[in-house]
Amino acid sequence: MKKVLTVCPYCASGCKINLVVNDNKIIAAEGANGLTNQGELCLKGYYGWDFLNDTKILTPRLTEPLIRRQRGGEFEAVSWDEAIDYVSQRLAQIKQNHGADAIMLTGSSRGPGNETNYLMQKFARAVIGTNNIDCCARVCHGPSVAALQQTLGNGAMSNSIADLEDTECILVFGYNAADSHPIVARRILKAKQKGAKIIVCDPRFIETARIADLWLPLKNGSNMALVNAFLNVLITDKLYNQHYVDSYTEGFADLNAIVSKYTPEYVEAITGLSAKLIREAAYMYASVSSATILWGMGVTQWGQSTDVIKGLSSMALLTGNLGRPAVGVGPVRGQNNVQGACDMGATPKDYPGYQKVADPKVRAKFAKAWGVESLPETAGCTITEVPHRILADQLKAYYIMGEDPLQTDPDLAGMRAALEKLDLLIVQDIFMTKTAAAADVILPATSWGEHEGIYTSADRGFQHFEKAIEPTGNVKVDWQIISLIASKMGYPMHYHNAQQIWDEMRQLCDLFKGATYAKMAKFGYIQWPCPTDEHNGTPYLYQGNRFDRPNGKGLLTCAEWIPPKETIDDQYPLVLCTVREVGHYSCRSMTGNCRPLQTLADEPGYVQINPADAQQLHIQDQSLVWVESRRGKVITRANVTPRANKGAVYMTYQWWIGACNELTLDHLDPVSRTPEYKHSAVRVSAITDQHWAEQEIDRQYHQLKQQLRELAHAV
Amino acid sequence: MTHCFIAADANKCIGCRTCEIACVMSHADDINISTQHFQPRLKVIKGMTITTPVTCKQCENAPCAQSCPTGAIVQKNNCLQVIQSRCIGCKTCVLACPFGAMTVVTTPLDAPETTSPNKQYQTQAIKCDLCSDHAQGPACVTVCPTQALRLVEPRSLTQLIQDKQQRTAHELLTTLTRYHSSE
Repeated sequence: MKKVLTVCPYCASGCKINLVVNDNKIIAAEGANGLTNQGELCLKGYYGWDFLNDTKILTPRLTEPLIRRQRGGEFEAVSWDEAIDYVSQRLAQIKQNHGADAIMLTGSSRGPGNETNYLMQKFARAVIGTNNIDCCARVCHGPSVAALQQTLGNGAMSNSIADLEDTECILVFGYNAADSHPIVARRILKAKQKGAKIIVCDPRFIETARIADLWLPLKNGSNMALVNAFLNVLITDKLYNQHYVDSYTEGFADLNAIVSKYTPEYVEAITGLSAKLIREAAYMYASVSSATILWGMGVTQWGQSTDVIKGLSSMALLTGNLGRPAVGVGPVRGQNNVQGACDMGATPKDYPGYQKVADPKVRAKFAKAWGVESLPETAGCTITEVPHRILADQLKAYYIMGEDPLQTDPDLAGMRAALEKLDLLIVQDIFMTKTAAAADVILPATSWGEHEGIYTSADRGFQHFEKAIEPTGNVKVDWQIISLIASKMGYPMHYHNAQQIWDEMRQLCDLFKGATYAKMAKFGYIQWPCPTDEHNGTPYLYQGNRFDRPNGKGLLTCAEWIPPKETIDDQYPLVLCTVREVGHYSCRSMTGNCRPLQTLADEPGYVQINPADAQQLHIQDQSLVWVESRRGKVITRANVTPRANKGAVYMTYQWWIGACNELTLDHLDPVSRTPEYKHSAVRVSAITDQHWAEQEIDRQYHQLKQQLRELAHAV
Repeated sequence: MTHCFIAADANKCIGCRTCEIACVMSHADDINISTQHFQPRLKVIKGMTITTPVTCKQCENAPCAQSCPTGAIVQKNNCLQVIQSRCIGCKTCVLACPFGAMTVVTTPLDAPETTSPNKQYQTQAIKCDLCSDHAQGPACVTVCPTQALRLVEPRSLTQLIQDKQQRTAHELLTTLTRYHSSE
């Protein structure tokens, strides 16, 4: 029996776990004393390792490379040599016939780790010759990165999870910590216990609203109006820090010009909130000497998300709540390594360390380091633009690593139709997901627990995770698979271990240069920037109020409010907003294969609906119902709860039967290309024959599981 | 003697249900639990303004034990426990418990001893036993990430009472001082 120190593979709280391993099997997980979790874990940390034993509860592990030689044909199990030959030859052919930009690749914000993401973007840029690489940051905090890079210079949390509890006021905007990050919710509770004021802006009465001093139940789709009103009060009532604004910011006059009309009275009708409540919240935020803003998908998954984040960062700038401990702006990242995938340049416009593709000097530096003549200069495709580019005949091949767009992306019917049109779909994963089932080639990889590497947690913290067990299938580590394909395509790539990749990456990124494996072993947690050997990391950004912008000043800016794209009407009278399930993660391929977590919550999931709406629609609590939009129709179970506001319904996004992304709208933020998951018009209707509906769910669920199981065991 | 019991602090609960899984796992033979066997002995309840685990109070004059016709609920290890072999599944305890902390469940046996239809299932009265078979103590208390659950022991109850008495006395003193100074 041994204990192996690792980092939780679920949300990005960065919790350290000791896995208890006996005879190459994990038998328990214990909380280890990490900087963010202090020995505590949530249910996913304690019970989220069972999938490593290939329980086949939901869908089986991938254990052999598989090729489907004809679209729609049968999978055939092949040797690694044959799989690598096939992939390399097909990619080379597509590149030759259609150009490098006809190929799209993804990093993975989940298990693989930073080293693999670095290598995947190197493969995309140096071997394929395209910037068409992206990761699922696009569908979550992409807008936070885009907006904060413009206003402050860095796209990450400016502060630390650990010092949240020492702030005097937390403004929680569109962020349900209890369901998304229980270990961050714990810090919010501790802040409250230490006397902090808590303000919650959310249409739902979320857990944090219970302990809040003020709860602002704004109408779905009114974020920008509320933020502008906050800014208006801060300026009009002179609650801002004049000295700070004069010394460290620019753009005040432009900001004022936009927000001057957004008086609390003006936005009453848009937000559904009283002017008095809005004023009270702005005064509360401005009255303390240290305040922190936290936001989540309730801010980012909108057609107007980057603008709202610019507004939130302007609130912090106006009040001088940056550049010190226990203050700042916190976009709390959702997936364990979504920060890391962005750090490593698995995005279409950035090299590792946020060095710009558009900068010729940066391109020359990477070209020299990677031993290629030149690197592509046009910005790449985002994952949300993929279906459109396929339908426009611009993309022919898609190499997906560790993501399941046929579950997690909006408008699944549209996505399915697009993927069908591809010439080549390569899926590198650990499970037979719905996306893997549609692939032409499946490359089975090792899972978290079966390889080592570095993850970046939500607050820029690099942490090393160890390998706990030997994999049982004929699988390879992600970076080995990429190296083999690259070498086969004529670009020799050889690494002995993850550390060698990490060290190559460090030498190319000033932001991470000092974050060595040795230093991580010593301190356990290194927050970037960490530029030199002597540097021990940066718990909070912008020390001395110097922002990472050309003139060092923070940019005050926001925008006019734009209403949501799809408005409700008589036919589709309710707003659908997609939310999180505490016991499941992402597409559920991991948590759905863990018995305790699967037992706690299973198909078809729930639609949360207000009692008044339920009564009008003759819907009983726990009964099965239809939810229908212009794009699809699914069955789910009603959870009649007063915590959901009237006129809106809420569904979690990882179910196969109650798949809310069959219903969501593919409407993108113009800057970050993030979809508006939070606002689709739907109708909900009762099902008379409940017995039939229950059976129908069982039938569909059984059929899907059976189908994936058969596909995974092709010979 | 006074029983020990699990107390929940609703102000600290975030509704994550880690305690429910820990409870089930603590009473399961291995990780292979199923929905049918998912019978947590405490239950997280979410209302409009409250979220809290509802737990067994381990009552001193316990209605569950008093109402049990077969004497299946007994005092053991500072709490009330069920001797499952005596339980006939009559559900009287469920009706008697004012807190909803008693459940009676019938589940299919994983490996039935005979083919006789009435031996295919087992009926059990389920209640909190403070995980008394485990050296680490109650699993729910151990795992709660926000420390919303704690084991209240007789001596901590005595301490609690003394603290409250002190506070009452101080409040009395403050009131009196205010009264005299206003004279």
